[in-house]
Formats: sequence, C-alpha cells, structure tokens
Amino acid sequence: MVETNVEPAVPPVARRAQSPGLLLVAVAVIATCGLIYELIAGTLASYLLGDSVTQFSTIIGAYLFAMGIGSWLSKFLDGALLRWFIRLEILVGIVGGCMAPLLFVSFEYVASFRLLLYALVGLTGVLVGLEIPLLMRILENRYQFKDLVARVFAVDYVGALLASLIFPLVLVPQLGLIRTSLLFGALNLAVAAVVLARFPETRPYRRRFAVGIGAALLGLAVLFGFANRLLAYTETLAFQDQVIYSKSTPYQRIVLTRNPRELRLFLNGNLQFSSADEYRYHEALVHPLMQALPQARRVLVMGGGDGLAVRELLKYPRIESIKLVDLDQGMTSIFRHNELLLALNKGSLNNPKVQVINADAYQWVRQDSGRYDAVIVDFPDPGNYSIGKLYSAAFYTALVKRLAPGGRMVVQSTSPYLARQSFWCVAHTLAAVGLHTVPYHLYVPSFGEWGYVLAGPDAHWRGDAGPLPAGLRYITPGTIHDMLRFPPDMSEVPTEVNQLNNQALVRYFEEDWGPYVH
Amino acid sequence: MPNRRTFLAQGGAALTGALLLPALPGCAPTNPLAHIKGQMVGQDAATGHLLRDPTRIPPPTETLETEVLIIGGGVAGLSARRWLHRHGLRDTLLVEMAAETGGNAAAGQNAASAYPWGAHYLPVPDVRNVELLGFLQECGALTGYAPNGLPIYSDYHLCHDPDERLSIDGHWQDGLVPNLNLSAAEEAQFARFFKLIDNLKAAKGRDGRDAFCIPLDHASADPEYRQLDQLSFADYLTREGFTAAPLRWYLDYACRDDYGALAAQVSAWAGLHYFASRKGRAYNATGSDVLTWPEGNQFLTENLRRQAAGPIQSRTLAYDLRETASGVEVLTYNAATRLSSRVRARRVLLATPLHIAHRLLAQVPGHALPPHNALHHAPWLIANLTVEGLPQGPGRPLSWDNVRYGSASLGYINAAQQSLQQENGAPKVITLYWPLTDEAPGPARRRAYQTPYAEWLPRVVAELETYHPGVTPYIQQADLWVWGHGMVAPTPGLVWGAARQAAMQPVRDRIFFAHTDLSGISIFEEGFYQGIRAAREMLGVFQADNPLST
Repeated sequence: MVETNVEPAVPPVARRAQSPGLLLVAVAVIATCGLIYELIAGTLASYLLGDSVTQFSTIIGAYLFAMGIGSWLSKFLDGALLRWFIRLEILVGIVGGCMAPLLFVSFEYVASFRLLLYALVGLTGVLVGLEIPLLMRILENRYQFKDLVARVFAVDYVGALLASLIFPLVLVPQLGLIRTSLLFGALNLAVAAVVLARFPETRPYRRRFAVGIGAALLGLAVLFGFANRLLAYTETLAFQDQVIYSKSTPYQRIVLTRNPRELRLFLNGNLQFSSADEYRYHEALVHPLMQALPQARRVLVMGGGDGLAVRELLKYPRIESIKLVDLDQGMTSIFRHNELLLALNKGSLNNPKVQVINADAYQWVRQDSGRYDAVIVDFPDPGNYSIGKLYSAAFYTALVKRLAPGGRMVVQSTSPYLARQSFWCVAHTLAAVGLHTVPYHLYVPSFGEWGYVLAGPDAHWRGDAGPLPAGLRYITPGTIHDMLRFPPDMSEVPTEVNQLNNQALVRYFEEDWGPYVH
Repeated sequence: MPNRRTFLAQGGAALTGALLLPALPGCAPTNPLAHIKGQMVGQDAATGHLLRDPTRIPPPTETLETEVLIIGGGVAGLSARRWLHRHGLRDTLLVEMAAETGGNAAAGQNAASAYPWGAHYLPVPDVRNVELLGFLQECGALTGYAPNGLPIYSDYHLCHDPDERLSIDGHWQDGLVPNLNLSAAEEAQFARFFKLIDNLKAAKGRDGRDAFCIPLDHASADPEYRQLDQLSFADYLTREGFTAAPLRWYLDYACRDDYGALAAQVSAWAGLHYFASRKGRAYNATGSDVLTWPEGNQFLTENLRRQAAGPIQSRTLAYDLRETASGVEVLTYNAATRLSSRVRARRVLLATPLHIAHRLLAQVPGHALPPHNALHHAPWLIANLTVEGLPQGPGRPLSWDNVRYGSASLGYINAAQQSLQQENGAPKVITLYWPLTDEAPGPARRRAYQTPYAEWLPRVVAELETYHPGVTPYIQQADLWVWGHGMVAPTPGLVWGAARQAAMQPVRDRIFFAHTDLSGISIFEEGFYQGIRAAREMLGVFQADNPLST
C-alpha cells in the first residue's frame, strides 16, 4: 500500500516541544515486548516440540533474521511516519499478543504446526524489526545523530535486559505463557494509543485508529479472561514427541506420539504405555496370574482396550475365550485397525478367541452371567470419582461373583512408591470383600515403580506354580519372587477401604499425586 | 472437558458477543432463555381448592364399602396402610388427590435421568428404630447385619462420595460447614456448637429417655429440654453466644432445609433436634451418611405402596365426611372421571395435612384439630433442570448436594449421583430446592401460585447463574413445581404444646389421624412413624370390637 496522506507541516521547533522523551519510553516498551515475543516463541516451541536447545536456537535465529528483513523493509515506508508507526504497533500488538494462544490451540493441526510456528515467528520478527528504524527516523530531527543512536540503542538494550529478567522470574510463574503474550500485545497497543493521543498530527485519523485500538484491546482482554479455559483445552495437547494420532471420544482424548525410539499412548494427557517398556508392565500384569491357573480356559479383561494384555494372554494356547470389556470404542477400534498398533499388539484384538465388548464396565459386570477362570482388571488410575467407583468394594463384590470356582483376578493398582496410600487402599479393598491378596510391584522405566494386586478365594497362589510361555523378556519364576518384596519406602500403610460412600481411594490418590502435579 | 467443537463454538460465541455487545448498545439481544423448554408441573391446586366450595362437585353415583378408608396417600397414609395389611386388616381403600401416591416424595423422569420433585434422602436411621430398619430391609436398602449387630446398607443406596460441597466466593469447598477464611473466633464458635451437639446426642432426661430422638414422641419429657421448645432457635443461639455470621448462616440453612423456615421462626428444641437426633449407626456408614436414590424418596413410598395390596384411587378428593350409625360415610370426587362416590367405612384414617382434615370435619364435633392457618406451612419452589454441562469453578467437583454460601435457594442436588456409569458428557438433571421464606407463608403461597412460568424461569436461571456463571446456554429444560404447603415448620410451642397431643386423639374410635403435621417436623421417619402409630390405635380398637379375631 502506498501512503498518500501527508501530515500537516509542523515546524521542527513546535515538534521539539513535544515529548521526544515519550518516544524513548516507547522504545523501551517495544524493545521489552519484542524480546518477550521471542522468548515466548522459544519456550512454546521447546514445550510443544521438545529438544529445547534446537528449538530455542532455531527460533532465535529465525526471529533475528526476520527482524533484519523488517529493518531493511523500513526504507520502503515513506510519508506520514508517525501514522505508519501507530499502525505498526497495532499490528505487533495483535500478532504478538495472539501468538501464544494461537500456537497453543493450533497445535492440534499437527501437520502444519512447524510451518505456522515459523510463519508467526517470522511475521512478528519482521514487524518488530520495523519498529526501531521507523522510530529513529521519526526522532531524527529531534536529536543529533550520535545522540539519537546512543539514546535509542541504550534504551533498547535496557528494555531487553528487563524482558530477560521478568520473563522467567515473574511472568511465566505468575501469568503463564498465554497471558504474558496477551499482556505484552496490550502494551504494544498502549504505545499506539499514547502516541495517538499525544501527537496533534494524528488528529485526522485519531478517531478511526482509536476504534481499532479499542477493538483490539477488547479482543485481547477477552482472550485474557478465557486464558484458563484455553489452557485447560490445550494442555492435553502439549506433548514432547511428534503426535501421530489424536482423537476425542465421548470419554477421553486419545493421543499417540512417536519418537525414533518409541510409540507412546496418552489418554487425557496421561501416559498409558511406551512401546519401549510396555512389555514389562503387561507381562507383570498377566503372567503371575496365569502361570498359577493351569486350568484357565475363559478369561475376562476389564479395560485394556490396547490389546496388549490380550497379546500376553494369547501366549497360553489353553485359553479358549477372552472377553475384553472396554468403555471406549474409539480406543479398541484404533487398536484393531492401525498398522503401527497392530504390530505392537500382534493383532490380538482381531484373534477369533477374542470378543471385544464396548460397554461401561460397572453396568456390564452387574448384568453379565458368565463365569471366568481369570479376570484381569486394567483400568486407568483412580484420578476422578467416576473411575474411583471401579475400584470400590461394591465393584469387587460384583466382580467376584463372575469368578469361576478356583478363579483368580489381578488388578493394576497404581504406583506403590508415588501413590503408596492408593496402592495399599486397593489391596485393602480387595481384602475387605473376602479375597486373599498378593501385592507385587516392578520397575517400568517410563512409569516408575508400578504395582498390582493378585486376589483369589484362597491363599494357595504360588509364583512358581506352572510353566511360563517361551520368549518372555521380564517375567521368570525368579522375577515373580522378587516382585513380592516391598522395601520399607513402599511397605504396607494402613488405609480405609474404598467404598462408594467414601471414595477413599480418589482422596488418597489426590493426596499422593498432589506433590507431583502442582 | 468440552470437546474441541463445543469449545471453539462457545469461545467464539463469547468472543463475538463480547465484541458486539458494547458496539451495539441499541440492538436488543434476543431472549437468552428462548432455548429453554419447560413448564409448571405438579399438584393440581384447583382440585384441592374444590374443597372450599363442595357445591360445585356432582352428587355421588355409586356406593363403595370398606372396613378402613384412608384419606391421603403420602408417607403416613401408605405407612398406615402397610401396617394394617401386615396385621391382618386388609380391607382398605386409599384415596389420594394427586395422580400418584407418595405425597411430597414425588418424582419425575426424562431421557437423562429420574429425578426428585420433593423429599429425596433418608439419613442412616437410629438402630433402635426397628420398624424403619425392617422396612428398609424389605426394600433392599438394608442388606443384613454385621456380627456386631450393626446394619449393613447397600452400597448402591448409600449416597456416593463426593456428597456435599459449598461455594464461597466462587471456590467450592468440601462439606457444607463453611471453613474457608474463618477467623479464629468463628472457628471456635463452630467447634463449641458441634461440641454442644455431641453432648445433646448423648444426653438423656431424668426419665431415662433420649433428650432428642426420632420419632420425636419418644424423646424425653424432661423440662430441661422441653423448655427449649418455648423460645426461637435464633434467640437461643444469641443467648448462648453463637453469633458468628458463618455459623448463623449454616444454622439458618439447616432450618430452611428441614423445616422450610428460618432459625428465628422455629423453636430452639427443633433447631437442636435437627442435629442432635441424627444418631444413625451402621456397619458400613457413619451417622452423617444418607440413603438416596435418583427418584428421591419416591423409592421409599413406592416400596411402601407395593408392600400392601389394597385398592388405591388416585386423583380422588374426599370432600365430605359424616358419621353414621355403623361408622363413617365419605363422599369422594374423582377428577379424572368427574364422578363422585359414597364410601361407607367402619373407620377412617385422615392422613392429610391438618388444614384439610379440619375442613373435612367441619360437620363432625369432638376433634381438637388446629384451625386453618394455625400451622406454619412454607411454600417451596422446586426446579428440575436438564443441563448439558455446568461451567465449573475452582475447588471440589460436582457433588450430590451443591450449595452456595448466602444463596437464596438451598442449592441443587445431582440426580445422577448414584449412577455407576463413567462420565460421558451426556445431559444431567439437577434439582434446585427453594423454600420461599422471604415473606409470611400465606402471602408467599398466594404469590407463588400466581407467578407464571415466564416469571419463575428468569429467577431460577439467575439463581443458578450465581452458582455457575455462564450456565444459561447449557440449560436444555427447566420444569418447575410449586408446593403450596411444602412442610410444617416446628414453630415455638408446636412440638411440645398440648395442642399437638390433643389433635392426635381419635374421634369416638372412628376417625383417626396420621400426618407429619402431628409431629411438627416433616421428615420421612416421622410420617412413617405417624402411620404406624395410627394403625396401631386402629388395630387396638378393631380387636376390642372382636376380641377373638387376630
């Protein structure tokens, strides 16, 4: 666009009367804003994409380069410079202010995320690069050149120092990235507003620009108010690795990520397994139970829609039928069709012995009339009151009725190290419905210490009762024996029994995990 | 958690709204409640008011005969009927004015859930209340007894956790006793009050009876406690130095919850009774636990009804009662068929509110029922709202009972609390309870009846907005029910005055009375007890008629 409006000629003397100091303050503010945008982009990129050294380095490089382009482009701006400057501040305010919210929300569209990231960084860099040259040209008649350069750059670097200090110490801890971004966008708009108000030559277009600034400020303010909801919405999207699949079902958000070493599955942002070490978790879930049940023909799996526990079960040719009850069809469906995942679970859910039932576990157990020799309970951790009901004494009472004579069950019971009360609460709840329990645990590198509780009608379970399938990578009679030992930092603690009317487990789980998530 | 589409849509709408509203001050927005469906439901006040002018009712066209006619199918009437049947007196007829029995334990149902229209829970009872425990066992709510003798309640009937939360300045705390930002002095008053309650729970009068218990007729006659019935609860609290504002709010809340009246309107004995009578014990629950069902206490009243097999005529109004040589003759009018009947009974049980009984006995001398309007019956508004979501503030998650500190209503309960399903974002029904205590019961009742749906709805929505700002777009449906005579309030002198005992006395062994109005406290246990008490009196008289029969 070519600038055709020419500012009314104002004698330099009259101009000098008007706050060049104000413009220097503007330099300090815009310098702070400029660096803040750079820091936000770098932090966000490391946060969402991982590998912070690479992200920070490439973001800073791209940003500085874009600033160079902006500085070079500044020579094409002629005419009413003050008007250009106000326009520029409004643009920087909008683009920079919306940078963090936009990046957070658009991370969903994973295919184009890097493109968008660098496009935004580039655009912001170009706009910020225009600012200082433009301001220097506005100020060129008010100072001698050596004064001008000295003052502008001194103030510029002071602003940079200020930004680099308040960003990590105050802004990120107090406001978070989204609000910081919006706040500094507003500051750019404020610079535009003050310049607009204080310089008489802006009169012809003052009204129009003021409306624009007001609208932009209002927009940022509304986003500021919604920042928590934005964050709640986007937090589940912030993963370290490349997201290769994501889907929201009525029950949860399923995200699959990949790096050169492993696949990871997240449900509502919580890691469910890493392909690198899930064999430890699933072998430990299945084999201590199954080796003790040489007669087991019918098996029930509750949860476990990834088919990985079923993969382990299918190593026992004697098993005739496996029923898998998982709430979420979205979950079982990808584990029956996605090639990467079929390689991982060996197509277990498509095996003719396996019947997949998408149903609410509690309702299903109450109306089912089958009997099972083994029951494997692999629900998500009891992080809310809805899931907590699936760990209650009432649920176990209903489940025990589904055990065939001599049948046993195993329950994944969260971490006895990180959530010690929770783990023992599960064990005590199973004991409270009259079962003999055998708690055990192992180390899963991507989870930490993890625990299970075996439960059955008698105390006859043995860790070396029968042969194990060939080719296991973790479980041997020796490791089963080792898993039974609890060192003092995980040993039994007294807890209440988890009942529907006290939901003791969810309360323990909140206490146990509280220090790790806040 | 909202999914992406609804989030973006709502966010976008909010953003657009925020941007447009200030810019378009002259542009009136469309009615923000237009999307909410609903209506007034509930009792047919018109049928009830026919009693005031029975000349508009057609003369009877048939004559029915029965040993016992029970007028009123609320808790007391159903409980009496069940007790009579259990003890061999099965020739009964029960007439009920409403379309269904159950009294204020009414309930509804829609695609999302069953939900209560009135009473909706029963505290874990005192183990000495063996009649009640026996009934609960027959209902399946009590599953057996532990080796130590304590009852075991069904996990599916005990209210699931989290049970109660209170919103103070937008933050949801656990439990209804305010505990956020209390000063040390306020905390000390709470501690002293609950210590007092603990002492009163254990206290016995000089006659060896409990100072407070349920049913209250079993409580001690010791003047030390009964004198507490002479002053108001508010005056008592002030006298005893319980002046902290959060404590007084909490106690006012309790009185409005159980009595539909303020602490200044009920007696000190009743105010203390609310807390000190809760002595329930169980093997798998505490005394503060309650039994609840999606349909509320209709679960209990339906069980009461099913546990006896005698005929029931609903939508039937008894409008005239006279004594005859052989018993009692009652005229009834069926609002469905618009036909009247003459019912000849040997004995009649009036299980109605006392002002109805008083009107029916206009021609019958010898009773001591209180005159019309002598009792304080607060009107209530109950709203059942189907919501697609509840914008959640910080703190505790959705609980069974959700209350806001200082709120005009009593808050709402979550009808799906006992659901065993995993959360899937489907619509929920919440039930808002609102005793209309701003003015005296008479004017409040008239105003409530005259207020149309279009005026109620904005008030109800505004009230819910104070709980969950931004909830309006999530409300799909809002049905409202006005209870004109919601429940009796135990005003000073009512519970232990002579009038209550006199009103309970049968008239010439023919006309008997059972209703919570006769307890002065409207809770399920009292209705259940009143029914059994009246049934026992009746059975005694029948046995005296014919001593050889059992």
